[in-house]
Amino acid sequence: MPRSLRRFAAGSLAGVLVLAATGCGAGGAKPVAQDPKAPLELWTRTTPGGDGEKGMKKLAAAFEAATGQKVEVTAIFDDFETKLSQRAAQKDLPDLVLNDSSQLGTMVSQGIVREVDLGAIKGSDQLLESALSVAKSGDGKTYGVPYSAQASALLIRKDWRQKVGLPVPKTWDDLTALAKAFTTQDPDGNGKPDTYGLAVPGSTKRGYASWYFSNFLWAAGGDFIAKQADGKYKPAMSTPESVAATKWFRDLACTSKVIQPGAATMDTPPTNETFEAGRTGLYVVGPYLLPRFDAGLGKDKYEVVPVPKGPKDSTVLAEGGSVYLMAGSANEAGQNAFASFMISADGQKLGMAGQKAFNVQLPVNKTVDITAVRKDPRWKVYADAYRDSGRYAPSIPNWTPVRQDTADTINALIADCSLDVTAELTKLDKKLAETLGKQGVAAS
Amino acid sequence: MSVREAPVATAEPPPAEQPGRGQWRSRVRRTGSRRAPGRAARQGGKWWVPWLFLAPALILFTYFKFIPMGRALVMSAQDVRPYLGNTWVGTANYSEILSSESFRSALKNTVVLAIGQTFGSMLLGFCLALLVEGQTRKLSFIRSAAFLPVVVPMAVVAELWRIMYHPTSDGLLNQVIGLVGLGPSGFINDPDTSLASIAVTGIWRGAPYDMMIFLAGLAGIDRGLYEAATVDGASTRQRILHVTLPGLRPVFAILFVLAAVRGFRSFTEVFLLTNGGPNGSTEVVMTLIYKLGLEQNRLGVGSAGAVLLFLATLVLTVCVQLLRRRRTA
Repeated sequence: MPRSLRRFAAGSLAGVLVLAATGCGAGGAKPVAQDPKAPLELWTRTTPGGDGEKGMKKLAAAFEAATGQKVEVTAIFDDFETKLSQRAAQKDLPDLVLNDSSQLGTMVSQGIVREVDLGAIKGSDQLLESALSVAKSGDGKTYGVPYSAQASALLIRKDWRQKVGLPVPKTWDDLTALAKAFTTQDPDGNGKPDTYGLAVPGSTKRGYASWYFSNFLWAAGGDFIAKQADGKYKPAMSTPESVAATKWFRDLACTSKVIQPGAATMDTPPTNETFEAGRTGLYVVGPYLLPRFDAGLGKDKYEVVPVPKGPKDSTVLAEGGSVYLMAGSANEAGQNAFASFMISADGQKLGMAGQKAFNVQLPVNKTVDITAVRKDPRWKVYADAYRDSGRYAPSIPNWTPVRQDTADTINALIADCSLDVTAELTKLDKKLAETLGKQGVAAS
Repeated sequence: MSVREAPVATAEPPPAEQPGRGQWRSRVRRTGSRRAPGRAARQGGKWWVPWLFLAPALILFTYFKFIPMGRALVMSAQDVRPYLGNTWVGTANYSEILSSESFRSALKNTVVLAIGQTFGSMLLGFCLALLVEGQTRKLSFIRSAAFLPVVVPMAVVAELWRIMYHPTSDGLLNQVIGLVGLGPSGFINDPDTSLASIAVTGIWRGAPYDMMIFLAGLAGIDRGLYEAATVDGASTRQRILHVTLPGLRPVFAILFVLAAVRGFRSFTEVFLLTNGGPNGSTEVVMTLIYKLGLEQNRLGVGSAGAVLLFLATLVLTVCVQLLRRRRTA
């Protein structure tokens, strides 16, 4: 090695060692002196400057008017979790974070949320059991207060369905038949074979493929991971039910070819576009897209119906948002008060108000009747689906890798029709077992 | 005149490109380094004066490059928990990532993609450079037009190519290959063609950059050599083979390092076009690191992957430099 190179290497090594010595600060949370007047800093995962942020500010203003407590709202969408990690590294977390309920495990394992004493949250006895269950982590303790819920329903191009003369699908076979008709019978009448049945965001990005497939997997009685008697989990993607569900879904892409081309590389924005632009006629989604499709496609062009019953039942993916009370806050009383406000009947109604980008999709407070607030009957479809068939992803320490691994496999299966379903799912189960083991929740 | 201007405009790489400094350094070394000690002694001066001039750049690099790099190295040996405090895990992160099949396949894809993009861009860039070398005003316009892909943001490029790669027979590129009786191809949606499709996108974007550097190199070749070759009765092919290519040797070395580093770091086009799918066929090290570190919040393992990628790039760069030095010595 030339001398200059050696000197450079030695120098950089020394520099790195110095950094290593200084780079790791002492960790651990200390009790913080409480100040019930301290303003609350709130982060919400929504597009800055968008309607979601406006709605959140409206809620914060109402809370301030009711309690005199100041709340500063910050909207962040891209890399929300990364930015939160940066604040965590500075040991200066926002007081409140409004994010997906499914983030619970991750946030608990990072130690950035504090346990919620439900006794201190006014109105927590009015919460729906299903919503409350998602706020419980694996150890049975409650972290976070759910304030909004949603489930999936099936959107159908009504004009197309009438043209091909088929009824609203009630079973998976009906669904397949309708998807086939949309693909082959030229429902838009332009003389070109450019329409497809089911819109599928099949990309691996953020685990979309797995997120979408969960509706079908659960309805068939399959599962990603199955909870055992000891509270730990076993991978379940190679059980007969899961294999059957995967085969059925895969056949939509490979045999009957009713899924839009390019699905394997599409996340939600391009998939939404296929439905909006009249290239697909069926789409399983949550209620948050209705305002968009009402404007882009027209309210009269599509209908909202429950997702057809699968081989086992009508289970659909339930999701929602939770208020997370972050660790190290100087105003825990204020945190409790805000969570209480969000789940109160007034807070829920205010969150649902407006025509687009509501902060509360479906109410989690038993005393709030959605039909009284939203006259649109389509919302009832969603509310019923959530109440009767909604199912959340399980609260394991980190759900993301499970979602990512299954998304990789589902994506592979719809992209490459030569793969063997059973073999791929067996491989996936091995991977899932490893992931569960790393998180310390693998059943022996 | 325009030929003289071109190298000035392009010899200056984007500020973030580290190899750019190597390029500058090597040029200095070639022309002036042997005489430098004598000159310094002659002029005297305080030892810290040069450091003073370097200080602004050094401070910036320290804060925005060296400290983050050091932190990544530290994190690669830790279980990173920003709030609870990190714990040391020794080499566990490295053994985890090295033993994972997804890392190995990502490494393979990265190397294939880097090689494809590097040589593809160099070949196309060289051809383009030969075509547009010259001094008329029209050529300078064409050169600017050819350079456009480099200026367009990668996000826009990816979206354009996604539209062009539409997998049905009415897709733009499928219509083109349909004219010669091929296709329709799935392009980025088919595991067999996805990596090649991404490489093509990368080549389309990278070639004009290479072209500009080639143009700078071409301008530096003594015209007299061409004339001498012509007088000796050399054909165009022979002139390219025996005058142009040897004259461009240092340019090739620089381009190779630049393009290889760019290839190793490919992220945006993969992230936007396929995000590693379908079936992991386009998963590269950068997208894997992103998923591990930022999506799954396992920054320790992600950092370990980043350190390994850095080492690979470093080894490659040093090897090329040593090879060059041996050849010029």
